[in-house]
Amino acid sequence: MILNRRLFVGSLTAAVSGILPTLSLAQGKGTIAIITPSHDNPFFKAEADGAAAKVAELGYEAMVLVHDDDANKQNELFDTVIAAGVKAIILDNAGADASVAAVQKAKDAGIPSFLIDREITATGVAVSQIVSNNYQGAQLGAEEFVRLMGEAGDYAELVGKESDTNAGIRSKGYADVISQYPDLKSVARQTANWSQTEAYTVMESMLQANPSIKGVISGNDTMAMGAWAALEAAGRTDVIVVGFDGSNDVRDSILKDGIKATVLQPAYAQAQMAVEQADKYLATGSTGLEEKQLMDCVLVNKDNAAKLETFALTA
Amino acid sequence: MKSAFVILGLAAALALPGCKIIKNAPEGEGTAVIPDGEAGDDARIAALLDKTYEAELLPLIDRALPAITLRKALAEGLDAAGAAHGNRGSGEGAAWNFAVKGEGKVVEANLTSRARKAMVDVDGDGAADLTLQLGPVIKGTSLRDVAPFYRFGDFRDQIEFAKLARALNDRASAALQVPEGDLVGKTVTFSGTVDLKAATDPWLVTAVTLSVAP
Repeated sequence: MILNRRLFVGSLTAAVSGILPTLSLAQGKGTIAIITPSHDNPFFKAEADGAAAKVAELGYEAMVLVHDDDANKQNELFDTVIAAGVKAIILDNAGADASVAAVQKAKDAGIPSFLIDREITATGVAVSQIVSNNYQGAQLGAEEFVRLMGEAGDYAELVGKESDTNAGIRSKGYADVISQYPDLKSVARQTANWSQTEAYTVMESMLQANPSIKGVISGNDTMAMGAWAALEAAGRTDVIVVGFDGSNDVRDSILKDGIKATVLQPAYAQAQMAVEQADKYLATGSTGLEEKQLMDCVLVNKDNAAKLETFALTA
Repeated sequence: MKSAFVILGLAAALALPGCKIIKNAPEGEGTAVIPDGEAGDDARIAALLDKTYEAELLPLIDRALPAITLRKALAEGLDAAGAAHGNRGSGEGAAWNFAVKGEGKVVEANLTSRARKAMVDVDGDGAADLTLQLGPVIKGTSLRDVAPFYRFGDFRDQIEFAKLARALNDRASAALQVPEGDLVGKTVTFSGTVDLKAATDPWLVTAVTLSVAP
């Protein structure tokens, strides 16, 4: 839809340039690059879609690219967009340390970067870092998990991909809350690399080794879906599962009394905010805001799941 | 003799290319070097609390609005009340945080949970107006976010910033004296902090002081 509109505008301008001065003017605002992890994960797709929609709305062209969580690839993409002379870069980065140099390179070339979702370990390099407060989100998820577990019982944790900063942050946020309840016992903790199929296999073996498991807390929704499928196959739908991200799949599961809760990161809105800040910065030389901005996550359970659609809660 | 020292010094410098010389703090001075990065978080945050908790945060909470006054201010709108009496957490859509104090009757309590709570009626209508968090597990970050002097941008990342919130919660809940036995029907005087995203949100107050009338 967004892509179509962009192509439509592009071809129209080419065909009737001069006849539609407003469109030519819009083109004159230049291109904004949107670089994220792979769109295979609907979270990152929502992010890219949100940014691209706002970019078009504000009269720029969007250049949408993915780095697949590979810092080298991200570095090459930065070379590409710098060479293409983009006006600004919207980035969900491929590593807190590894990305600093790439963002610095763009800055040296006079191109401002606006970071979303994940932060980098340096300040003064990007113009904005709008950070999803994964730690706070994990605490929310863990508090709900603890409540559902009645503050006691054996539980397992599925951890995300080691190379992704947010896997560690979420796991620490979970531990921060759960460790305060001595009657909750961790019997298994294993990575399933954000993968649904891997989570299915890991859950199967966890369950075999620990039939006493009463709950599973997962680092994201795709792994929660995999775990839930394995629990269903084993006839263990009594097990409490809590995820993270706020995907439509988990929303549907919550509404069908499957998975109990997840935590929404406002991906779409956050990406749009970054583009608005880029636009303001390009026009005035300042966003008027601090570089590092935290964006809170929201707990989603049966009470509000019906209001969730594509990583946004409707009022 | 002098040239010998220069040569020695030069040799030492050449022998340590790229090394950073870190001075050890003399023993007994209590100014141990705090390592950079996550390894130093606990020490850095403990030092920050030593400097700010009693000197700045407790006085700020001591100047709290009475609960009834805050409720009237909120009736005029959250943003107006927040701008006049509160502090906003970092980032878009962040909650407004207020220091609040009051006195009221406990109408309900849960003291068996690790996150103990007391529901308090402050306006005398018999219905609970707010929930006091009594620890040892404290939810939320309002103790941190009520203070304008704790700013996200001053911290390495969200983990270090979160550790500050946890340390503040732990400090407050450790100092809280919650009497044994049932609280229901008793009159309590309290001060603490509350975070609100909407004027109509239920109040979950992190208690910093609590006294129970005998």
